[in-house]
Amino acid sequence: MNAKSLILKDVVKTFELPTIQRDATVAAAIRMMMENNRWSLLVPRRNKTDAYGIVTKKDLITKVVAEGKDPARVKVKDVMSKPLVILTNLSLDLRWVAKAMANSEVSTIVVFDKGDFYGYVTEGCILEGMYNALRRAKLEQGVDFVSC
Amino acid sequence: MELRDIVSDSRHVTIKSSATVSDALVAMIENKTDFLLIDRDEPNDAHGIVTRWDLVEGPIARGLDLATTSVMEYARKPLVVMNNLDLDIRWVAKKMANEGVSKIAVFDGENFLGFISDVDVLKAAASKVRKTKGTKK
Repeated sequence: MNAKSLILKDVVKTFELPTIQRDATVAAAIRMMMENNRWSLLVPRRNKTDAYGIVTKKDLITKVVAEGKDPARVKVKDVMSKPLVILTNLSLDLRWVAKAMANSEVSTIVVFDKGDFYGYVTEGCILEGMYNALRRAKLEQGVDFVSC
Repeated sequence: MELRDIVSDSRHVTIKSSATVSDALVAMIENKTDFLLIDRDEPNDAHGIVTRWDLVEGPIARGLDLATTSVMEYARKPLVVMNNLDLDIRWVAKKMANEGVSKIAVFDGENFLGFISDVDVLKAAASKVRKTKGTKK
């Protein structure tokens, strides 16, 4: 990594995820992902002591498509991850964000800033952040960055 | 029962990330604890954690030299955190199962409340069973 390493705050995205009910089918989830152009959906909780769930494209691919199941029959609640994986330290080095993803085998982490919801970080955000840092470093050296 | 009911105290022992496995063992035994928090080296670094089980399963079971093996090789980093105190303990247990850990750091906003362990969850579950039995009688 270069001298100034990236931190979580540099790559986190502050958008709201679309929500899907836990009893909806996987087919509906896929449609909602396509329509919103987001690859993760939040599953709301039923009451105050319940946990939020999340369903991502990886869940759908590994647990439904790869298993040969019918997306119209499988419910979202059977493939979602629950409870959410969270990070609360916005100044965490990007390396540890990636490590947290690897440890818990999820592709979307919810980020909180001092107890308040802040945004999401996905594996795409991490790659994007690394790419932008690389491009900045090249530009500073005066080299035109050629993307492959 | 909710998460806020089982967060006990924030007592924990900290060691440096440069410590060896034997340092960690001594610190655990002397402080009568089964986990150690590993300090971060710089502000952007993450805290780590090493449990008794990590040491037994890793360096001790493999017969490594405890005095030269670094504790960082067997530590878990970054910590698993939770910040929703209203959560049912069922989801705390599920979180432990998902992540394969036995200690979770609990925060309320920016305040660190403490660690909850698998034993705390077990105790809570047991007291729940006792309560329901008592009401039936």
